[in-house]
Order: sequence, then C-alpha cells, then structure tokens
Amino acid sequence: MSALLEIRQLVTAYGKIEALKGVTLDVEQGSITCLLGPNGAGKTTLMMTVAGILRPKSGSIRLAGEEITGRPPHAIVAGGIALVPENRLVFPNMSVLENLQAGAYQRRDREIEADIGKLFERFPRLKERSGQNAGTLSGGEQQMLAVARALMSRPKLLLMDEPSLGLAPLVVEEIFRIIVQLHQDGVSIFLVEQNAHMALKVAQHFYLMEQGKVTFSGTPGALAEDEVIRRAYLGSAKA
Amino acid sequence: MIFDLIQNTFDGLAMGASYALLAVGFTLVFGVLRRVNLSYGPAIMIGCYAATWVSLSFHSNVFALLGITILGSVLAGTYVERLCFAPHRQGSAIAAMVASFALWMQFEEAVTLVMPKHLYDFPPMFDGDPLAFGPLSLRAEALVMLSCALAICFALHRMLYRSRFGLAVRAVIDAPLAAQLAGINVPRVLLLVFLLASGIGGLAGWLIASTHTQVTPMLGMWSTLKGLLAMMIGGLGSLPGAVIGGLALGVLEAHSQWFLGPQARDLIAYLLMFVLLAWWPRWMTTQSAS
Amino acid sequence: MDDYTVSVLTNIGLISFIALSAYLLIIAGEMSFGQQGFFGVGAYTAGVATAMYGVPLPIAAVMAMGAGAAAAFLVGLPTLRLRGLYFAMATLAAAEMLRIVFELIHFQREIDGEPIGPDGTQGFRGIRWVFENGVEPEGFLAMVWGLLFAVVALFLFMERSKLGATLRMLGEDPELARMLGVHVERFKLGVAAAAGALAALGGALYAHHNTYIEPRNFDIMLGVHSLAYALIGGLGTAFGPLLGVLIDIGALEGSRVFHGYRMIVFGGLVAVLLIFRPRGLLDERVVHWLKRRLA
Repeated sequence: MSALLEIRQLVTAYGKIEALKGVTLDVEQGSITCLLGPNGAGKTTLMMTVAGILRPKSGSIRLAGEEITGRPPHAIVAGGIALVPENRLVFPNMSVLENLQAGAYQRRDREIEADIGKLFERFPRLKERSGQNAGTLSGGEQQMLAVARALMSRPKLLLMDEPSLGLAPLVVEEIFRIIVQLHQDGVSIFLVEQNAHMALKVAQHFYLMEQGKVTFSGTPGALAEDEVIRRAYLGSAKA
Repeated sequence: MIFDLIQNTFDGLAMGASYALLAVGFTLVFGVLRRVNLSYGPAIMIGCYAATWVSLSFHSNVFALLGITILGSVLAGTYVERLCFAPHRQGSAIAAMVASFALWMQFEEAVTLVMPKHLYDFPPMFDGDPLAFGPLSLRAEALVMLSCALAICFALHRMLYRSRFGLAVRAVIDAPLAAQLAGINVPRVLLLVFLLASGIGGLAGWLIASTHTQVTPMLGMWSTLKGLLAMMIGGLGSLPGAVIGGLALGVLEAHSQWFLGPQARDLIAYLLMFVLLAWWPRWMTTQSAS
Repeated sequence: MDDYTVSVLTNIGLISFIALSAYLLIIAGEMSFGQQGFFGVGAYTAGVATAMYGVPLPIAAVMAMGAGAAAAFLVGLPTLRLRGLYFAMATLAAAEMLRIVFELIHFQREIDGEPIGPDGTQGFRGIRWVFENGVEPEGFLAMVWGLLFAVVALFLFMERSKLGATLRMLGEDPELARMLGVHVERFKLGVAAAAGALAALGGALYAHHNTYIEPRNFDIMLGVHSLAYALIGGLGTAFGPLLGVLIDIGALEGSRVFHGYRMIVFGGLVAVLLIFRPRGLLDERVVHWLKRRLA
C-alpha cells in the first residue's frame, strides 16, 4: 500500500533561489511523522507548498494516490489536508466560534455544529471563551484554536508547523498531549518541530532536512543513535 | 438667513446621500482588497450610458433602467477586476491603482465613441415638484437616495455578520493567509466583493442620473472623486463611516458653495482630504473594516 | 519637416519632462499622482513672467523651476512619510487643489491695450515670447530637445554616481538606506523638490509652445499619464519614460491610425504591461543586458 502523503523530487523557489531542492518523503497513513531541521532549511516552505500557498517549480505531491500538485489552497483543504501554520495565525478580530466556523468553510454538511460541540469538549478553554475575539487569547489558547480550526475541515492529514514555538513548557506538554490524542483518534499528522525531545516521544518516523534537502530518514531509535544528529538536536536541548 | 442655512443643509444632505452611496461601494473594495479602484466611477458611468442607450432606443420605464444600469456597472466592474485587481493581488497596490486608471481612459473614450453627444437626458424617477416643508423644500429623490444608502449599509452589515459569505469576507480582511488555509477560496471572495461593490455603484449611478435627469462623460470622474473623498472623510474602510462621510461632504459642500462659490467648494473638499491624509494618518488607518 | 511633425516632436519633448519627473520619484520609491500640479505651477509662473513682466524666457524658466521646487517641497513636507497608497491620494488632492487655485487666480495687466494674465477658468492667453522673439518652431523644438538631452545626460551621470545608487536603494529598501546612514526624510524631500522643478521646467516650455494655458490642462489625466509613461517605458533608465511618451504621443496620437481609439489602445497597453512587465519595457534587466551588448 502506498503512503498517505507522497512527496517526490519537490522543488520550490523564491525567484531564483531554490528553497526546496528536490525533496522526497512519505507520511504513512495513521502515523505521526516529524520533520526536523535547522532554521532556514526549508521546512516551512515545504509545509506551505503542500498546503498550496506556494507553487512548486517541479516535482509531485500525492495524497492517497491522487495528484494534488499545484492545486489552489482551498482545493487542498477540500481534498483533506489542513495546515496549522507557524505562529498560529488565527483570525484575531473574529470570535473563537467564528474562527471555528471559518475552518469548516469547505463543508456543506449538517454536522458542523456537532463537530464544534465535540471540539469544545476536547478544548474546554475554547468553549469558555467562544464569544471572545481570538486576538485576546493567550498564545497557548491561540495554538489550540488554530488546531481546532484545522480539525473543523475534517482532514485526513494534519500538518503542524512548529506548534510548540514560543509557548511555555507546560503548554507545550498540553499541545503534545493533544497531538497524541488526535493520533489515537485516527488522524495522520505531519509535524515540523524544533523541540526534538518532545517529538521523540510521539513520532514514529523522522526526517531531517538541511538546506532544502532531506538528509536523514528513520525511526526514533535510528535518530537517537545517529551521533551527529544527537549532538545537533538532542545534546543541548532541555528535556 | 436661518432658512437659507437650513435649506442648504437639506440640499447638502440630498447631495450627500448620493456621495454616501458611492462611498459605500468604494469602501467595500478598499476595506477588503486594500486597493483603490479609480475605475469605480467610470464603470458606473458605463452602466448609466447603457441604460441611457436603452432608454433612447426603447423608451423603457425608468425603473427597468435600474436593472440595466446595475448590469452594465457589474459587467464593467468584472472587466476591471480581471485586468487590474486579480493580477496584482500579491503585488503592488499602486500598480492596481494605475491600471484602474488606464481602464478609466478606455471607458471614457468608449462611451464618447458610441454616444458622442456631450449630454444625454435620463428619465426622472418622479414627476412633479419637490416636497415642501413650509418655506423649505426637499426633492423626493433625495429621500429615496438616503433610504437606499441606509438600507444598503444595514444590509451589508447583516451580510457581513450573519451570513456564510460574510464570514469568509471578514476572514479575508482579518488574515488573508489564514483564510486560504481555512479553505476559503480567497480570489473568488475578492471577485464577488468587487462585483457587489459594482452593483451598489450601479444603483448609486441610476439614482444620481435620474435625480440629475442627465448623463455626461464627466459622471465617471465625478463619482470616483466624490466617492473617494467621502470614504476618506468617513475614515477609510468603515461602512457607517462612509455614509456619515458622504453626508458630511454633502453638507460641507452645500455651505461652502453658498458662502464662497463652487471653486471654493471643491478646494475645501480637497483640502480636507489632504489634511486628513497628511496630519491624521492614524484616523485613516485605525478605522478598520468593521 | 512639416509643421505637424514639428508640433508632435515638440509635444513629445515637453511631456517627457513631466514623465521624467514622475520617474525620478518612482526610482526613489514614491508614486506621485500630483506632478501635473507642479507642471502647472511652472506654466503659470513662466507665463506671468514673460507675458506680463517682459522677463526673457530662460530667466522665466529658472523662476518656474524655483516655484515648482518650492511647491513640491511644501507638498512633500507633510506627505512623504505616508505609505504608498496614501501618498498617492495625498498628492492627487494637492494637485487638484493647485488646479482649483489656478481657477481662482484673476490677475491681469493691460499690455498694448489688451488685458494679459491668468483669468480663472477662462485661461491665460497671449504667452507669445517665443514668437515675439522670432524663434521659429524648429528653433523651439531644438531648444526643448536640447534641454531634454541635458536633463537625460544629468540623469545618466547621476545614476552612475553614488547619488544614483542611494536613490535606488531608497526605492528598494528604505530601512536599509536608513541603517547605512542616509537621512531618508531629508533625501526624499530633496528628490521631491528636484522632481517638482523638472515638472515645472516642462510646464514653462509647454506654456510657451501653446501660448495659451488653462487650469484644465493640469488635471489628473496629465498626472497619471506621466506615471504611466514612466511605468510602461521602463524604470531601468531615464530613456524609459521617453520611450513611454514616444509610444503614446508618437506612435498612437502622431500616426493617426488609432484616431478615436488612442485612449482605448493606450489604456489597454498600460494595464497589460503592468501585469507582464511591472517595471516597464526598459526595466533594470533589459538595461543591464543592453549595456553588456553595447560595451
């Protein structure tokens, strides 16, 4: 069986500068896959390209065997991929409830209200603040809102770009608890993370990206054994 | 003297109602796209000329012309959006503004090619004298115009805060990238907002033409400049502000024309625009589209 | 050359001044919708000087440039810190104010039994210095193009200098310029004043070519045309705006083929070029390529 997300030889450029220089990787159905890498390696570019915000120069992206390369972002969302972007990006002047409704914009079914109810059970803090403008929430609450908004589209695959960035350690743990829960509920997750220690506890497969190329692919065990990676990503990090 | 002042204010409000309507359409585009559409007025003029042509050829009813005017404005607006705004969505706001001016030139030459007379009659909405309130008078058209401005402002507010489409529009205003990631077809929302504004412009054009009972090629420039001014006085991007800005501009113009003459009227309006832009930039930018 | 050709060529030269003035500001990162106002200031100043006070045209042109620079400086003072769209609208308002001021000026003197001077919306006729001093149309044409070449030479010289580099840096990245110690506000004011003077010089010559000016000549149409000339001609070299003028006035108006459709053709051309060549036909890349071929 082929993987849920298959990326082959993907090249994305800003003008003449190639940020992705032929990236090839797979995200298996039902897995948590984690992408590590230094700043400027092209991780966010990869996420934005998969989400359809950036157009690749060449290469292919397939979701469940279907070619989705070059589709516009709203069609990607409709196809079953939702991105929780870096720095959260909620709608600051809209209420928490409206943020969730906007996340379901592609859907026409009658279960939207029910889904909002379920998400409010999962994120009770959001329910308390459902009438409040998203801009007034704390960083952690905004991150939860961004995740909840992405889930409103009922994605097959959830992309998360550095969900722990700039959050307090306790909040980070909560975010990862949510990631694990989502995974148990059957959502496949492709995660970009700097916090390798946390990622190591949840992910089944790792990729390392450097200067626009994938330079490592393997299990958490293989990752922990790689001397170079250990020193770069695990050595100095706090547990 | 006091009657003159009151009558002037009445006349100003009547004029201001048309500015308010123009400003509402202008504001809708500016609030959502953050772009200035100089072809807004000329597209309205296309609608009015189309209606005039129909009126001359088929002697149709003035209310039937409303549909033609709106249709013409929306078609011209589609052309403007495709050529000036869709291609510059990521790019410079100024490029879009210059491009919209280029189409203005096209529209103006096109109408004079097809209908070369300097002035055409447009049928009036109502026959008969203005309504009299003691020594004061007010044209019935002014009341229609004012009610339309208020009704449209109200309807747009409902649309923005109560409908699915309105949710998408506000999401696009709030965070365009997040809107795309939420699955909103942003280019389509922008096109629809643009066409909605063109339609409102068409209604404004019909009301103005049938109030003045004439159309001239100057209608394009006039509509753009008055709409722009009223939008700015109202604080750039706020719909109630646009209505208030339009009425304020109308009253200001009526009084300054009465006391100082027509040139001073225009001078004061531009001075106000200049001063607002130059010395109260916060006034302009803090009033978001809400 | 027949009279018509001379007249078209003179016009191309005259309008090139205001196109270059718009170009100068675009290079520095500002799109002005108001250069027509300074063109008008130049036209009125020089017209008043020669027709009413007998000042020779060369001196009147210098006076016009001074007036244009002063007006541009005053407009620039509160507006240059505004961002793109707001600057564009503020300069548009300023130019419209200037145009209405021209409509309000009634200032005439009796000369040879005839009232001469600006007469509001009636315009200002009898700016006849060129004819009274026996300058033939060809002579005036040579004068206009001579001055224009001098200005273009100045531009080319400037663009090779440190000043030119600073100017382009200001347009591309004002923050970088600030960090490198450029006094951005003062520098931009200087550029605005120079652009005002350039437009005013064009206006002064325009008034003496036409012998008659009226406030309508200096409306928003002229201003946006000059912007469009710079934008379609190209922002890579000072020849760009000239190319823009040549395309519109030379090819479209001059050839008479497009009679009655000129605005439609030109408007379409501008809109399409803005999409496919946002920095014009002679953009930086083309200019670089041309320089390499020529060198």
